[in-house]
Amino acid sequence: MFDFVQDKRWLVQIVLAVIILTFAVWGISSYQNTSGSDPLATVNGEKIGQQEFEDALEQQRQRIREMAGASFDPTFFDKPEIKRSVLEGLVAQRVLTVEARGAGLMPGDEQLAQIIAGIGVFQKDGKFDIERYEAALKERGMNRLGFEARLRQDVAARQITDAYSQNGYAANTVAETLIRLNEQQRIVAVSSLNPETYLKQVQISDADIAAYYEKNANEFQLPERANVEYVMFSADSLSSTITVADSEVKQYYEEHAAEFGTKEQRQAAHILIAVAKQASDAEKLAAKAKAEQVLQQVKQSPAKFPSLAKQYSQDPGSAANGGDLGMFGRGAMVKPFEESVFSLKAGEVSGLVQSDYGYHIIKLLAVKAAKMQPLGEVRGMIVQRLKSQHAGDKFAELADQFNNTVYEQSDTLKPAAELVKATVLRGVWLSKGQAANDIWTDKALQAVFSEDVLKNKRNTAAIEIATNTLLAARVVEYKPASARPMAEVAQAIRQSLQSLRAAEMAEQQGKEILARLQRGEKAGVNWKPAQSMSRSQRSAVAPELLQAVFSADTSKLPAYSGVASSRGGYLLARIEAVKETGAIDDGKRNGYVQQIRQLTGEELLMAYLADAKKRADITMKEFVTDERK
Amino acid sequence: MSSLDLQEQEQVDALKAWWKENGKWVVGAIVVGLLGFAGMQYWKSHQSGQAADAAKLYAEVMKQAATNDAKRIGDAADALVSRYGSSAYAPRAQLLAAQASLQARDVARAKVQLQWVIDHADESGLQDTARLKLASVLLDEKSYEEALKQLDAAHPESFTGLYADLRGDVLSAQGKVAEARAAYQQAFDKTDAKSVYRNLIQLKMDGLGAAK
Repeated sequence: MFDFVQDKRWLVQIVLAVIILTFAVWGISSYQNTSGSDPLATVNGEKIGQQEFEDALEQQRQRIREMAGASFDPTFFDKPEIKRSVLEGLVAQRVLTVEARGAGLMPGDEQLAQIIAGIGVFQKDGKFDIERYEAALKERGMNRLGFEARLRQDVAARQITDAYSQNGYAANTVAETLIRLNEQQRIVAVSSLNPETYLKQVQISDADIAAYYEKNANEFQLPERANVEYVMFSADSLSSTITVADSEVKQYYEEHAAEFGTKEQRQAAHILIAVAKQASDAEKLAAKAKAEQVLQQVKQSPAKFPSLAKQYSQDPGSAANGGDLGMFGRGAMVKPFEESVFSLKAGEVSGLVQSDYGYHIIKLLAVKAAKMQPLGEVRGMIVQRLKSQHAGDKFAELADQFNNTVYEQSDTLKPAAELVKATVLRGVWLSKGQAANDIWTDKALQAVFSEDVLKNKRNTAAIEIATNTLLAARVVEYKPASARPMAEVAQAIRQSLQSLRAAEMAEQQGKEILARLQRGEKAGVNWKPAQSMSRSQRSAVAPELLQAVFSADTSKLPAYSGVASSRGGYLLARIEAVKETGAIDDGKRNGYVQQIRQLTGEELLMAYLADAKKRADITMKEFVTDERK
Repeated sequence: MSSLDLQEQEQVDALKAWWKENGKWVVGAIVVGLLGFAGMQYWKSHQSGQAADAAKLYAEVMKQAATNDAKRIGDAADALVSRYGSSAYAPRAQLLAAQASLQARDVARAKVQLQWVIDHADESGLQDTARLKLASVLLDEKSYEEALKQLDAAHPESFTGLYADLRGDVLSAQGKVAEARAAYQQAFDKTDAKSVYRNLIQLKMDGLGAAK
């Protein structure tokens, strides 16, 4: 409906999405606290660390990639304003937590339980599973207490945002006005004055060019540049030099057996004659007598075990199933019970087994043998793991030496390269202020363009450009900042001045024609055939023209309007007729009301957040815009 | 073989005398302190107990909200309000109920529910939300003056855009074009440049026709 409204959506949407997504999606990794290092932002002293920020950024990256599909631009997230939006979202989240606490919002246990049960990672076969829940948390280094407290906080924060975002308003009056505006059609003839037509009339003198060159000297500056050679040293590059002995692989396989297979499992049924551990001797004797009597019956007709279990067993969980306890492995049952189960043969019935619960008669139903993935199948994976383990160890060992070598023999990289069996890479030109990339990180660039490295031709220190990856560089050749000579750029200046002047002339002329038309004079305009325009149809019509056409006063027709084109030149419009939309039915009105409510809801939330932020004590890191243009 | 020498004995005597004189005050102070502490603990647990109970009733309101039955939602909200009217959940429930009432075209009840939030909510943002919503209801009822009165209420700076925008809507409905344009212009200026809503304000402003 409001198609044309979407343009600037991204930035605000990202702030909102960060607030809401962390709650809804639970890539629960973001629940880990990041301490240490410089925080990117603080809210009332609470820190937002690098890790949390990266996680949120990644979440948004994925979300937008899914939405944008093939048209996704991966550099979109390098923009400082995007990073800023993500950080703003995290700050807003913290502010909400503070506010929720202040307001006394405290979601109840039932609600919490419901939410937890609804989270996919905690489910097994589509149902909440307590073991899966605890395992999933443990895997992520959390415990139930911590997670639930954090979740409660988030639900409370959500109750704050919902009170605004869900309570947008939309008067029917306003919806109808907007429908009329949005769907009104205007029959419009357009004429465009193109700069190209005026190019021939434009005269650019050498003096003009010189003046421009002087005035815009910055545009023609070349930055400082350096030709560097460098050595990279990483744990990854080491792993190819490492060999792993067969015996070591085998040892790993054995030590991590649990990971590569399932243990033996057994299915058993039992009849329990219950007697409490602290019962009197007389009671115990009576129970034992009863149990022996049942055992007699079982021995006489083993096939009747299920019905006897139903009749006599005092284990409410299994009696109804003929005593069947299902499959279980070692460690699941009390000791004497387990020992008996794992000593029986399939189909065999035990004697009386005494446990803390009473007397059991056990029948072993089935055995599922332990199953291991053969070593051959997992060998590759194990070798890979061991290699990267060893590579990590070796890297740690060598990193110090690498550091020292680079520092001590500061006029060559060769010894350092030999030390780590890497080659010195050459022939890379870097310019001061260039955008960072994976190898030439901000830190690395800063080091290259430091005085000592640039002027004294010393090695940089070993710089960590990624985890377990070091880089050292030295400058081979240096070119200071310089201006491109005027002769080199004169032609380009001439061209850009020409089109600039031509556009100005077109615009000037356009305005004069418009004034004449509005006074009712003839102007000899070459109109293109009239077409129908409406705001709701996002067509080939330039947005600035659309706005000019629809903000024109149409009390007298034809009405004239005009606007400078975003592509240079001028656009004239002659509005010949206005067609109002017909009767508005309920369905259409409700559609608009819904949309407007959503927008006012977002706006309420933003207004509230702005106010809440004012009340909090916030610091935020600035993301610097790339200075080079 | 006294274990206390003379000087220590004197000190002990002095202490005993002091205690005889002042002991009851010390005991009294300790008792008062303990009572105060216990009271505070009680108050804290009472508060969080209250919050938990209110949260439970709020969950009930949300459950009813899923039924789309305005009367049941309203009744559930009333139950919460009557017992925990000062909790943060009460105005939330009322806002939810008011929206349901509006959807069911029970404008009278919606107005009462919104007015309750304006009068009782502790969080000023919720008051503003209710007030804006009420003003938009009044606009549809053509009670323009009353709507404008709501929009005259004091509010935080960050809500100015929304207040001015709605004032523009009311003035425009009254046919006061110049005043409406001024209000929309204020709304436009006070709304974040990145906000989508700004385009909507622009649209309404354009719809008033070019300024004379």
